[in-house]
Amino acid sequence: MALFPRTLFALTLGLSALLLSQWPTRIAEAADKLVVYSGRAERLIKPVLDEFQAKSGIQIDLLSSGTTELVNRLQAEGDHTPADVFLTNDAGSLEHARELKLLRPMNMREVERAIPSQYRASDNSWIGLSGRFWIVVYNTNMVKPDQIKSLLDLGQPQWKDKIAIPNSGSEYLQAGVSVIKTTFGDDRTKQFLQGLKSNAGSQVYQKSSQIVEAVAKGQVAVGIVNHYYIYRHLATQPTAPIAAIMTDQQEGGMGAIMNVTGIGVTRASKHVDSAKLLIEFLVAQAGQKLFADLDKEYPLHPDVKTDPALVDRHSFRAALVPLARLAELREATLTLIEQVGLR
Amino acid sequence: MLTATRVQAPSSLQWVSLFTAALLVFPTAYIVYVAMTAAPAVWTRLWSTRIPELLGNTLSLAVGVALTTLILGVSLAWITVRYDFPGRRIWEWALALPLAMPTYVLAYVYAHLMGMGGPAEQWWQLLFGPEARLPSPQSFAGVTMIMVLDTFPFVYLLVRSALQNLNVSFEEVARACGVSPWATLRRVTLPLIRPAIAAGLALVILYVISDFGAVSLLRYQTLTYAVYQQMTSRYDHAAASILSLLLVVMAIIFLMTERWFRQRSRFYQTSGRYRRSTRQHAGPLGTALITSYVVLVFGAAFGIPVAMLIQWSVEAISQGALDTRFLGFIWNSSFLAALAACGAVIIGLPLAYLASRRPSRLNIACLQAAYAGYALPGPVAALAVLVLFTHFAPALYGTVVVLVIAYILHFLPVGLQSMEPALQQVTPNVEEVARTLGCTTHQSLWRVTLPLVRNGFVVAWVLMFLQTMKELPATLLLRPVGFDTLAIRVWLESSEEYYQLAAPAALLIVLLSLPALMLLVSKDWRGDPQEGIK
Repeated sequence: MALFPRTLFALTLGLSALLLSQWPTRIAEAADKLVVYSGRAERLIKPVLDEFQAKSGIQIDLLSSGTTELVNRLQAEGDHTPADVFLTNDAGSLEHARELKLLRPMNMREVERAIPSQYRASDNSWIGLSGRFWIVVYNTNMVKPDQIKSLLDLGQPQWKDKIAIPNSGSEYLQAGVSVIKTTFGDDRTKQFLQGLKSNAGSQVYQKSSQIVEAVAKGQVAVGIVNHYYIYRHLATQPTAPIAAIMTDQQEGGMGAIMNVTGIGVTRASKHVDSAKLLIEFLVAQAGQKLFADLDKEYPLHPDVKTDPALVDRHSFRAALVPLARLAELREATLTLIEQVGLR
Repeated sequence: MLTATRVQAPSSLQWVSLFTAALLVFPTAYIVYVAMTAAPAVWTRLWSTRIPELLGNTLSLAVGVALTTLILGVSLAWITVRYDFPGRRIWEWALALPLAMPTYVLAYVYAHLMGMGGPAEQWWQLLFGPEARLPSPQSFAGVTMIMVLDTFPFVYLLVRSALQNLNVSFEEVARACGVSPWATLRRVTLPLIRPAIAAGLALVILYVISDFGAVSLLRYQTLTYAVYQQMTSRYDHAAASILSLLLVVMAIIFLMTERWFRQRSRFYQTSGRYRRSTRQHAGPLGTALITSYVVLVFGAAFGIPVAMLIQWSVEAISQGALDTRFLGFIWNSSFLAALAACGAVIIGLPLAYLASRRPSRLNIACLQAAYAGYALPGPVAALAVLVLFTHFAPALYGTVVVLVIAYILHFLPVGLQSMEPALQQVTPNVEEVARTLGCTTHQSLWRVTLPLVRNGFVVAWVLMFLQTMKELPATLLLRPVGFDTLAIRVWLESSEEYYQLAAPAALLIVLLSLPALMLLVSKDWRGDPQEGIK
């Protein structure tokens, strides 16, 4: 009759044995292996890493998660982190990781030749790989492109219940608000955010792709997104009635808000040479083309051509706030966002 | 009441249970510590901006879902236990299936079906003109409906098992004494199944207030969602901890209420005169009503979502989405879930046993401590475990062990909810008889108590297995590198709107959960409570 507890214990013992058998694979340090923590969607990074793995023979273990979560994880893991490389979507987060001394300064000529200095940390502990712009997507049946000149226009009452915005946890939104705040000051930014909050109502989304979808369906007329989500949507649904507006291009305007995807080597990494090979691969012309085109982003290497589907990079200006400042600006931005009560 | 409580010196079992309770209470203590030491400015900021809205949303959702699941769960259990109608055996089983469906999958399917321009709206507009609008799935009603469809089986299963184990003699005595059928239901049956209802509702409420998947997809602002937003947008965890503290307090209040309900009514199944109720035959009209009710609930909670998933999976597979890595994900998911469920049953046993057999203050406090984990939102529980390990056992960090401990912490209460009533239903007399016949305490535990509570424990194991299989936030934060589970796959794909590509993994979670569920509702495990003694 005591069959059940025995079965249970046997089952647990068996499973524990299996658990122990998996142990050594983690402890053992494979020489040709890199552990990559990635804050960018797996689909948008894995093909490039697979290509690198095939070329170099270095095995890549990928952990995809949220950007801030990964910074928190790297910090919690400290010296014990299995990560060799941290790759993510937001320069502010990379700079913050640098300030926490999680990343390792690098001295690489290839990088200095390929990537302009405004897209790197001062000590190269993180290196920008591709650029993206936080701009406006609109439904071409509902809005004329000349109705919107600046991002700040979306705070006007005429857009009540017509716009979709990302939630306040989004690193893009935080970076964007930091840039606006630096350009226009606290009061105008606060006014803008209050307008945005009231205009968006419940149309607050977790992902840019959901915003593009809502605009394409006509659920809202306008949304604020990273530019590449528009082109990714158009790539699968070419007839969708959506288009991009590069905002704040008027004379003396702020310029479109830019951010980069970047990479850094962790301080605790024991595979710095392999990590260097990966960075070399990504900043070289072929790697830049592959990396940027996969996600419809702008390559940062000046000699690499942009995907022809995108707005020509030379036809618009980017905002002037240095990327590395995004980290120091973040705390004040978060306070402002919370004062306004954005979701 | 035949309780026999004797004062005893602390046994080894007691030490084990004390130690476990201390371990289990650590994450909560950590969160409380961080929340209490947070700057007062953070508190005032949260109070003035977010907390009133979040508390209101969370409480109203919990109450709305609880009331609806109460009606749905009890009525379905009643129908399947007391009536005979064509296909009853199949429906009995089918109604538990929504437990295999993660809330985030259900939420997405309904966001697609009932959202703007979705199939349901197109139908609706065909019927009522092009301006007609369905209630939005993102509204309070929409979120409530989706949570109800996912959680009503908790109430259904527990009430059903209570009704099956109910000694029908009690009702017959009442009827023989001239009490009307309604009064019998109200004065005899309902009080007898009240512990099961309370336990089921407590599960539902805890599930709702700690759910992350559905509310985040539907953008419905609850405390747990806000905790996640704070955690993923902030480097310090002060605000997240404060919001978590509120959640924990809320959960403790719910649990104390439930316990109060149960404490007031403790019933033992006395041996010998147990008889099962006979089923009433449903007439043609009754059959039609019952069948359409059951079909409606099952279709909404399981049939339609699975049909959607199958359709998407076929599309995804034709695009070449399946590869050999999938086998690894399947293995990782089942392995983790089985390990966590076994661990939790073993850890939970001394806690539940002592609290129900020797309900001293200490033992009950130990048990309550174990309930704390469920109220912690997944990400916060994960964070606390992470800190524990990086401080005290860094070598284990990044291994499966950490993840399994977080699961046990998080889901043990689910198991305890059915382990505890199972132990309570065994009268201590049986153990005492075993002792007088010469068994030692250990022998009586192994040979009498455990076989008797087997059903409750199997239910506990299965519930924990299913929950672990679906778990998302803790897995995301603690998974070792290269150790993706099916839930992670669903999340990675669906968070980038590749819902078709997410569908095969979601469907697999459902399929892998099915054998465990079948075990849960199959006949072999159904309680003949006397079996162990014969």
